[in-house]
Amino acid sequence: MTVLLDLTEVAVASADAIVHPTSLTLTAGRPLTILGETGSGKSLLAQAVMGTLPAGLRAEGGIRLLGQDVGSLSPRQRRARWGRQISLLPQEPWLALDPTMKAAAQVAETYRHVAGSPPAEAAANARRDLRQLGLEGAEERLPGQLSGGMAQRVAFAAARARGARVVIADEPTSALDDDRRDEVVALLKREVDDGGGLLTITHDVAVARALGGDVIVFRDGRVEESGPAARVLTAPANPYARRLLAAEPAAWPALPPRRTGGGGPVLRAEGLRKQRGGRVLFEDLSVTAEAGEVVGVCGPSGCGKSTLGDICLGLLAADGGTVWRDPAAARVRWQKLYQDPPAAFPPHVTLRQALTDVVRLHRRDWSEVETLMARLRLVPALLDRHPRSVSGGELQRLAILRVLLVDPVFLFADEPTSRLDLMTQKETMDLLVGLARDRGCAVLLVSHDRALVDKVCDRTVRLDH
Amino acid sequence: MTTPATLTLRGLGARLRPGAGGGPVLSGRRLVGAGLLALLAVFAWGAPLISDADPARQDLLRTLVPPSLEAPLGTDHLGRSLLARLAAAVRLSLGLALMGVLTAAVPGVLLGILAGWRGGWVDRLLVVLSDAFLALPGLLLVLLMVAIAPGSFWALYVGIALVLWIEYFRLVRATTRTLVTSPQIEASRLLGFGPLYIVRRHLWPELAPMVLTLGAFGGATAIMAIAALGFVSVGLRPPTAELGLMMTELLPYHYEAPWALLQPIAVVFLLVLGLILLAGKDPR
Amino acid sequence: MIRLLGYRLVQAGLVALMVGVLTFVLVRALPGDMAFRIAAGRYGYDWVDAAAAAAVRAELGLDRPALAALGQWLWDLVRFDLGRSLVSGEPVIDEIRHQLGHSLQLAAAAVVLSLLLGPPLGVLAGLRPGGLLDRGLLSAALVARALPHFVIGILLVMVVAVQLRWLPAAGHGTVAHTVLPALTLAICLAAVSSRVARDAMAAVAASPYYAFGRTKGLGEGILFLRHGLRNVGVPVVAYQGVQFVYLIEGVVVVETLFAWPGIGHALVHAIVARDVPMIQGTALVMGLMFVLLNAGVDLLCHVIDPRRRAA
Repeated sequence: MTVLLDLTEVAVASADAIVHPTSLTLTAGRPLTILGETGSGKSLLAQAVMGTLPAGLRAEGGIRLLGQDVGSLSPRQRRARWGRQISLLPQEPWLALDPTMKAAAQVAETYRHVAGSPPAEAAANARRDLRQLGLEGAEERLPGQLSGGMAQRVAFAAARARGARVVIADEPTSALDDDRRDEVVALLKREVDDGGGLLTITHDVAVARALGGDVIVFRDGRVEESGPAARVLTAPANPYARRLLAAEPAAWPALPPRRTGGGGPVLRAEGLRKQRGGRVLFEDLSVTAEAGEVVGVCGPSGCGKSTLGDICLGLLAADGGTVWRDPAAARVRWQKLYQDPPAAFPPHVTLRQALTDVVRLHRRDWSEVETLMARLRLVPALLDRHPRSVSGGELQRLAILRVLLVDPVFLFADEPTSRLDLMTQKETMDLLVGLARDRGCAVLLVSHDRALVDKVCDRTVRLDH
Repeated sequence: MTTPATLTLRGLGARLRPGAGGGPVLSGRRLVGAGLLALLAVFAWGAPLISDADPARQDLLRTLVPPSLEAPLGTDHLGRSLLARLAAAVRLSLGLALMGVLTAAVPGVLLGILAGWRGGWVDRLLVVLSDAFLALPGLLLVLLMVAIAPGSFWALYVGIALVLWIEYFRLVRATTRTLVTSPQIEASRLLGFGPLYIVRRHLWPELAPMVLTLGAFGGATAIMAIAALGFVSVGLRPPTAELGLMMTELLPYHYEAPWALLQPIAVVFLLVLGLILLAGKDPR
Repeated sequence: MIRLLGYRLVQAGLVALMVGVLTFVLVRALPGDMAFRIAAGRYGYDWVDAAAAAAVRAELGLDRPALAALGQWLWDLVRFDLGRSLVSGEPVIDEIRHQLGHSLQLAAAAVVLSLLLGPPLGVLAGLRPGGLLDRGLLSAALVARALPHFVIGILLVMVVAVQLRWLPAAGHGTVAHTVLPALTLAICLAAVSSRVARDAMAAVAASPYYAFGRTKGLGEGILFLRHGLRNVGVPVVAYQGVQFVYLIEGVVVVETLFAWPGIGHALVHAIVARDVPMIQGTALVMGLMFVLLNAGVDLLCHVIDPRRRAA
C-alpha cells in the first residue's frame, strides 16, 4: 500500500475552533473520512493539510505529501503543489465556479494553464471530461444555469483535470439532496478505484458509510474513534460515536403512538394543483391532517414541498382544488416553523422583547414562557440575546416555544432541522412530535430526508417531478 | 462593503455601543463627522455672539485686510467681515440642506414603504414618477427650477427636495419589497401582529440606518449644489453671504489675497467632509 | 436587452417631457411681454413691430389657454423644433451643434483620464484591503469627494496655472487648454470609480471561486486575468452609468470656470440671460446625452457580462 499523505501530531488553533495534535495516514485506493459536527475543527484540519489556513494561523506538526515534508514549506512552495499533487473539492460548488464563465472553459483552463496543454487540446479534454460525467449539453452553460449536482460535477472536473493523486473533499454534499448526494459519493469512489487518495470531511454519516474505507470520528478537535468504516459505523466503542450514530434518523426508535379517539381532521386539502414558472409542481394532490398527527412531505429540492405547506397555511393560493381548514380554530392557531431559525425572528430586538410582544398581543401570562423554557431545556440567559447570537438548535426550540404561546392546531414545519447537527436534529424532532401528541396539534413536516420522514411521520406525501 | 473601510479608520474611535443586531451605531468615522458638523454649527451660530459685524456692511477703506484682532478672519474686497459672512453662509447652507433633506426624506420614506408593501398599480405609478425625476441629472433639475424663479431661496429649496426624495423612495421601496416577503415578517403576521408592529419592529430598524446615511449624503449633495449654483452666478444673488458666491467674488483676488479665497473653500470642504463621514459609508 | 433599450427610450421621452414642462412654466412665469422679446430676438429690435409680436404670440400660443399651449409646446419639442436663441437670433439647434462637440471632447478626455486613474488604483488597493495603498486611497477619495468640482478646478488653477505656470488657466483651442478642465472632472470621477473597483476587487479576491481558482493550481496572474478582470469590470462599468450624473453636473460648472465654450457653459449663460429657447435646448440635449450614455453602458454591460446575455 502506497502512503500518499501522512500527518503526525498536527495541531491548529483559531478563534472558534481548535485541532489538538492529530495523526492520520491516507493510502492509495482506500478512502479516509473525517466525521464530525459543526465546530469540531474538521475543516481546520483539512485547511492545514491543503495549506489554505487563513492568514495568521499556523499548523504545528508534520505533514508529508507523497513522501515529501510539506508542512515546513513556504506558502509559495505549497501552492505549487495545488492541482498538481493535491486537489480540493469545494464545499459550495455553485459559489466555487466563476459566475461569468462557461462550464467547459472553467475545466479547460486547468488543462491549459496548470497542465500546459495547447488551447485546442485543453478544450477537447474539457469536453471529454464533462461528457464522461454526464454533462453533455452543459458545456456552454454558466454556473447560474446549472443545478447543484451539475455544478459539483463541473467543479470536480475542473479540480481533477491535472490528475493530482490526493483529493480532499470538504463537505462535498452539504448543499445537495439525497439523490444528488449519492451521485457525488459515486464520483468520489471512482477516484479511489483508480488508485487515488481521498480524504473526505463530512457531517453526514450516510456519506461516510457509502464511501467505506476508514473513518475518524472527530469532536472538539480530537479523534474520538477511528478504524474501518464497517466497524466504527456499526459497533462503535466510543460513547460519543455511539450517540452520534444513534442520532441518525435511520437509527431512531419508533414514534410514540398517537392517542386514540382525540383527533378529528383539522385540514383537508383536495385536488390541489400548482404551477410555477410554466412548470406544473403538482396536480390532483390531496392532503389530510388530523389533530395530533405528523404528516410528512418528502421529495427532491424544487419539487414544491414548501409551496404545498404554504398553500395549506393559506399563505399561497393554489391554482386549483380546495383547502378546508377547521373553522372552529382561530386564524392565529395556524403556524409555521422555518428552515433558518434566525430569519424568523425580528433581528433587532432581544428574544425577551420578541416573546413579550407575543405574550402581550395574545394576553397570555409570562409565567407560561418560563414553564415552557424549562420544558424545552432553554436557559433564561438566552432571552437577553439577539437572534443571530443564539445557536440554531436553541433558536429553533425558541421558535417552537413562541408558536406554543398561541396554542396551535396546525403547524407547518418547513425543513426545521436541515441546518442543525445530527444530535440537535434528534432533540428538536422529539420535541416536535411530543408537541403534536401532547397538544393535539397537527404537524405538516416538510423534509428532503426520506429516512427522517419515514421515522417521524404517521403518514407521508411524496412529491416527485 | 463597509467593514474593511471601517477597519481602516479603526484608530479614530472604538465602537460606542453595540447597536441593535450587534452592529456599531456610531463607528469612529461617523463620530468624527458628527463632531466636525457640531463644530461648524457652533461657529455659524456662535460667531454673531462674539463679533457684532454685519455680513452686509461694507467698508471700502478697509478691503482685503488680512486677519487681525479687529477682523478675526479678515475682510473681503468690499471690506465686509469674512467672519460674519462665513458664519452667515454656513447657517444658510446647513439650514437649506437640512430643510431639503427633511422635506425629501419624509415623503420619500412613506411612499417607499407604501409602494414596496402594496405593490400593484400604486407601486407602478410611483416608480414611473421616480424614474421621470431620475431621468434628468439632479443639478439640471435644480438649474431649471432656479431658472423659473431666479435668485429665490424657495426655488432652490424645492429643486433640492425634488432631487433628493427619489433616492429615499427607491431604497426604501426595494428594502420593503424584500422584507415584506421575508420569513421574519411572515412569522409575525402569522402570530397575529398588525402593520404598525411590522413597521416598528421589522421595517424601521432596517431602514433607519439607511435613512441616516442617505440623509447625510443628501445634505452633502445639497450643499455642493447650492455652492455650485452660487459659483456660476445662477443661484442666490449678491449680497447674500453664500459660499459659492463668495468664491466667485474672491476669485479675482486669488493672487493678492489667497487666504481670503481659501476660507470659503475650507468651509465647504469641512461641511461636506463632515456629512460624508457622518454617512458612515464609502463616498459614492 | 430589447427591454432595457426600450426603457432608455421611455426615459428619453421622460427627459423631453420634464424639460418641456419646466421650460413652459418658465415662459409663463417670465415678466414682460414674452412675445415681444422673442420677436426681437428673432428679427432684431429695429425690425420689431406690433404685428411681428402678435405673430409670435400666436405662434407660441401665448394668447391661448395654458393647456392647449402646453400641447403645442411639447409637440414642437417632439419634432425637435427648438426655435431661435433670444440673444443671438440664431437657430438653437445650430448653436448647440457647435457647443456639443466641445463638451463631448472635454467629457471624453475626462472619462478616459478617470478610467486610467481610478479603476487600476482601486484594483491594486482591493488586492490588499487595509493595506497602505488602500488607506491612502480611501483618504484621497474622501477629500476629492468632499470638494465640489469647481473647487478642485480652482485649486488646480491656483497651483498648476498660477503658481507653477505650467498650463493655461482658461480658454480653449489647444491640448494644453484641455488638460486642467479634463483633470478636474477626472479627479471627481476617479474618486468614486476607484472605490467601486476597490470594493469589487476585494469581494472577488475573497470569493470562493477565486479561492477555488487558486487550489485548482492557477497562478495569481492568470487567476486575475481569467477570473478577476471581468468580475471586477462588471460593477465598475455598471457604476459608470451612475457616474455620468456627476459628469453632466461637472460639465456645467467646470466649463463655466474654465470658459470652455461647451453646452454647460451655454446653459448657464442662457439662464442668466433668460434665453428660454436656449435653456430648453441645452437642458434637453444634456438630458438626452445622459440617457444615451446610460444606454451605452447598458450595451457594454451586455457585452462583458455573459449572465446578461444568457438572461
